[in-house]
Amino acid sequence: MSDFLFNPLLVKEMRDRFRSRKTMLILAVYLFVMGGIPMGFLLMDPLKAESLGDNRDLFLISAGIHYAMVCFVAPALTAGAISGERERQTLHILLTTQLSTRTIILSKLITSLAFSTLLLVASMPLYSIVMLYGSVSPEQMAQLVLFLAVNMFFLGSLGLFCSTWIKRTSISTVTTYGIAFFFVVGTGLLFFFIGESLQQTYPEQYVNSNVWSMYELQMLAGTNPIIVLSDILGESFDQSDDITFAPWLFFSCVYVVLSFVLVIWSAYLLKPIRRKWWSWKKRPVRVQ
Amino acid sequence: MVIETVHLGKRYGNLQALADLNLSIEPGKVFGFIGPNGAGKSTTMLILSTLLEQSEGEAFVCGYNVRKDPASVRQSVGYMPDFFGVYDNLTAVEYLEFYAGAYKIPASKRRALVGDLLELVNLSHKADAFVDSLSRGMQQRLGLARCLVHDPAVLILDEPASGLDPRARIELREIMKQLREMGKTIIISSHVLPELAELCDDIGVIEKGRLIAYGSVHEVSNRDTGQSRMQLRALRNLDKAGLLLASSPYVHQLTEYMGGYRFYFQGTEQQKAELLQELLDEQVAVVYYGDSKKDLEDVFLAITEGVGME
Repeated sequence: MSDFLFNPLLVKEMRDRFRSRKTMLILAVYLFVMGGIPMGFLLMDPLKAESLGDNRDLFLISAGIHYAMVCFVAPALTAGAISGERERQTLHILLTTQLSTRTIILSKLITSLAFSTLLLVASMPLYSIVMLYGSVSPEQMAQLVLFLAVNMFFLGSLGLFCSTWIKRTSISTVTTYGIAFFFVVGTGLLFFFIGESLQQTYPEQYVNSNVWSMYELQMLAGTNPIIVLSDILGESFDQSDDITFAPWLFFSCVYVVLSFVLVIWSAYLLKPIRRKWWSWKKRPVRVQ
Repeated sequence: MVIETVHLGKRYGNLQALADLNLSIEPGKVFGFIGPNGAGKSTTMLILSTLLEQSEGEAFVCGYNVRKDPASVRQSVGYMPDFFGVYDNLTAVEYLEFYAGAYKIPASKRRALVGDLLELVNLSHKADAFVDSLSRGMQQRLGLARCLVHDPAVLILDEPASGLDPRARIELREIMKQLREMGKTIIISSHVLPELAELCDDIGVIEKGRLIAYGSVHEVSNRDTGQSRMQLRALRNLDKAGLLLASSPYVHQLTEYMGGYRFYFQGTEQQKAELLQELLDEQVAVVYYGDSKKDLEDVFLAITEGVGME
């Protein structure tokens, strides 16, 4: 474990990521946006003693902006991680060292996650403004933080996978955002379209909107970040009211598993020589 | 054998990039790979460096199968590609320390090792310079030092002299001579053929993915035509030398060249020595009598003539 934590790639990446002026600039802009918008709303609608405990708008706005920033920043941090090495012509040399592809992928992912986590943690004090209004439970805050962390992990892994799979950084970045768009918006649209279609096609079978209680549709709803975020914020859609499990827990489990699959797949794709398990013996052969 | 390939082949779709390559390179030998762009030199080097999987055949480096035991092969090989990038925010020392770490060399030994390597490639004075500020020649030398951080038995150098000015080429060649003296087995490809002739024990000529000539520089030079191009320079009695060469049955196509003569010699090494003795007996003050520097280029052109037209 200590070998991994002090592997030269991780150390170099951490140093590059955290010891540059660009890093401070990104952090400053991020906090400015994250703090500026709620502050703007506060200026428009000043805090009043009588509204304490009732006004949830600021919480919704802050969480929405936070999620949007995560969707914007997390893929960008990893979508060029491997393709950038390839374009700089340093990847081949790196692959001839004793660093395994798994170490290379994890080092890149951990570095970007560390930076994403810094952004997340640095912006958490902004929620103290939200807490002034009350009407937000600590449990909701914890679920929101977990939700954002899972999204960072998934979007970071997705970016890393696209970066390994696609040679050019520009195409990898566009593909990452495209796939992320599918997960953020596409799964929600699929949920609504499929439900509505079933209801209209088989009106006698799905009376009184009971199509939304179908387990398959509930699972689809549980994979859509916007529906899950709405549920965490206590603003669920009518169609997703019938979900019988905790959406945030289901969402976290699905996306964490998906992220691990993407990381393992990336490490496999990065291997110059991919082992075909059915054709080779495991023991190395030495000839004289 | 340090390097051995058995019916090695690589296919990209319908394109056969490498076919039926059989190489055997002994320890401590310098092997030169000659061939035009796209002939299969880099493909072979990538396979031997475990960066590309072959389609057919097997390849072994230091006894390890490149496909079945790539980690052991990587520990035995130092690979320098024809074009490689550098991390722009590292100094020369940090750059080498980074790769030393990547080869799992203990941190306590890295600083001394890096110092030795920088001295070997004459870059001690640039130890604290940022890598991207170094000239192309210096970056190539640093790349060579990077290949050596884990003390590999084999060096695979893909066109190391490409894009270098003459001085940088000479400096690089001198370092490679040092490495040869250190007992490293080196595979080197280059378009600068005379440089290979001077450096290599064996050469292989590859064209359209096939090895069409393989052996010592001398064997390959005499392979097709049975003759070698030679050069003579002398301080005195050059006219006598001209007459003697013209009358020799072994000498053909005698021409004046750079204050001396250049000619094709068809005969054995013994007959070459006898001709030199005759020149000395005629009081010709010989200062150079040997293979012409352009020889390998001629050989390459002769061997590959018509291959690309098939």
